Amino acid sequence: MKAVLHVIEHDFRNFLRYKWWLAGLISMNLADLLIMAVVYNQMVNPQIINLKSYLNFFAPGVTVLGLFASAFMIGREINMEVRRQIHHYLLSLPITRFELALGRLLAGGLRGMMYMSPLLLTTFIFVGFPSLLQLLAILAALFLLATGISGLSIVTAVSTTSFEKFVTARGLVYYVLFFCSSIFYPLSLIQTLGKEGVMPQAIVVLAEINPLSSGADLIRSFLLGNPPFALEMVRNLIAFFIVFTITATFGYMKIVERA
Amino acid sequence: MVVVERDVRTFFRFKVLIIMRAIWFAAQVAFFGLIASRMVVPELADIYFEYYVAGVVVMMLYSASVFIGYDIFEEAEHGVFEYLLSLPISRRELVLGRSIGGGIRSFMLVGPLIAITLFVIGLANPLNLLIALSALFLFAFGVSGMSITIAVTLKSGDRFDIFMGVLNALIVRLSTAMYPQAFVQQASLTYAEISRFNPVTFASDMFRWGTGIEKYFTVTPMPLAAILGLVLFFFAFTIVGVTFYEKRLEGGGWQ
Repeated sequence: MKAVLHVIEHDFRNFLRYKWWLAGLISMNLADLLIMAVVYNQMVNPQIINLKSYLNFFAPGVTVLGLFASAFMIGREINMEVRRQIHHYLLSLPITRFELALGRLLAGGLRGMMYMSPLLLTTFIFVGFPSLLQLLAILAALFLLATGISGLSIVTAVSTTSFEKFVTARGLVYYVLFFCSSIFYPLSLIQTLGKEGVMPQAIVVLAEINPLSSGADLIRSFLLGNPPFALEMVRNLIAFFIVFTITATFGYMKIVERA
Repeated sequence: MVVVERDVRTFFRFKVLIIMRAIWFAAQVAFFGLIASRMVVPELADIYFEYYVAGVVVMMLYSASVFIGYDIFEEAEHGVFEYLLSLPISRRELVLGRSIGGGIRSFMLVGPLIAITLFVIGLANPLNLLIALSALFLFAFGVSGMSITIAVTLKSGDRFDIFMGVLNALIVRLSTAMYPQAFVQQASLTYAEISRFNPVTFASDMFRWGTGIEKYFTVTPMPLAAILGLVLFFFAFTIVGVTFYEKRLEGGGWQ
């Protein structure tokens, strides 16, 4: 366990080196919330989002957006380490492969949680504060999401041999998961478009099982009461967490041992 | 012309960037544009998809034109600057060539997407489109000039990356690329004032005018006001870009 903590500490120190990158990312997230959402607030039909304010609807979405971008950063570092063969040094440390993999995975998730905290606080200020129990449930759900995203980014990083391929794969994952989710628009609207034949059924299913949809909707269910809480949200988050935690741990262990 | 040709050739080395931009465009149109058009108030619902798709084209043009600044940092990092300075080309020709090259290559990237956009939203008047595209050329040159100016002013790759990220977030969101001015005004008078004098707004209005989306213009009379705004933007940043590039090109200090 101590070794895992060392790995997490190492990755946290690395994360704080990117302070300019973090400042840029947070300003973009805030611009989304304080400019884009404020204007959309005037444009969006309240009956469609079932809420008076689009700003309230979008605030949990932007929290999840920030969490995703920051938790995904660990993949970029691992891809770089593999390309530059820094993992040879990591293998020489008195740490087991499993501890190393677990440490990297958890560090990615915890970094996402740390970055997301001010955005979550902003959401609470805009939308209202949850009860202690709800807060714990939100944090637990976001931890599952962040660790799953960290795992997804590690899987992407170890499956791509060059930086260009990693960046392309990351772009594809980003845009599909961002836009095919309930971050920007309600899931019910995507389902309606699916029933009308405007949106392919596969896209509707992807939006339903998308962990970003589940994360954003879970926060909304506690803070806004809409959409109502559903066990499917928790199920999706747990499934995402389990699949990508296991895949990333073994994928990472395999790639670092490769000559 | 030699400088322009070199910059255009360099651009096509960045295949990843081109693929990424294409994915972004497809996601914006097929997901966000389509779904958001069903989410807006009834008076906007009938036109919002076309309105948004036209805005996405301008956003693409902006982000592709900015890319010339990243090239400058790569050249500084690899010592290509010294080579460029040794060529029998004046500093003025070099920066003008780079600005025009940056504009042309971004147009080459956005060209196929403009064709897709016209297929989606249709074309009302070919002459208007031709005028609009000419004005968008000026916009692309101006953005390239702006990117060069900022790059040679900051002389730090990290700071440039962050600065352009923040500027991109603000300049696009505080424009009418994504939403009509009437709604920006309802949201905030400050946002509306910034949006009114934003080159992305001029370019968005111009492209929409060219494609026949004539509702919700920001500046009037169209197209004169938008063309004037884009001409001013182009001249301002080309002149400033040339001056800064000439003054700060030599002397090192690149990080």
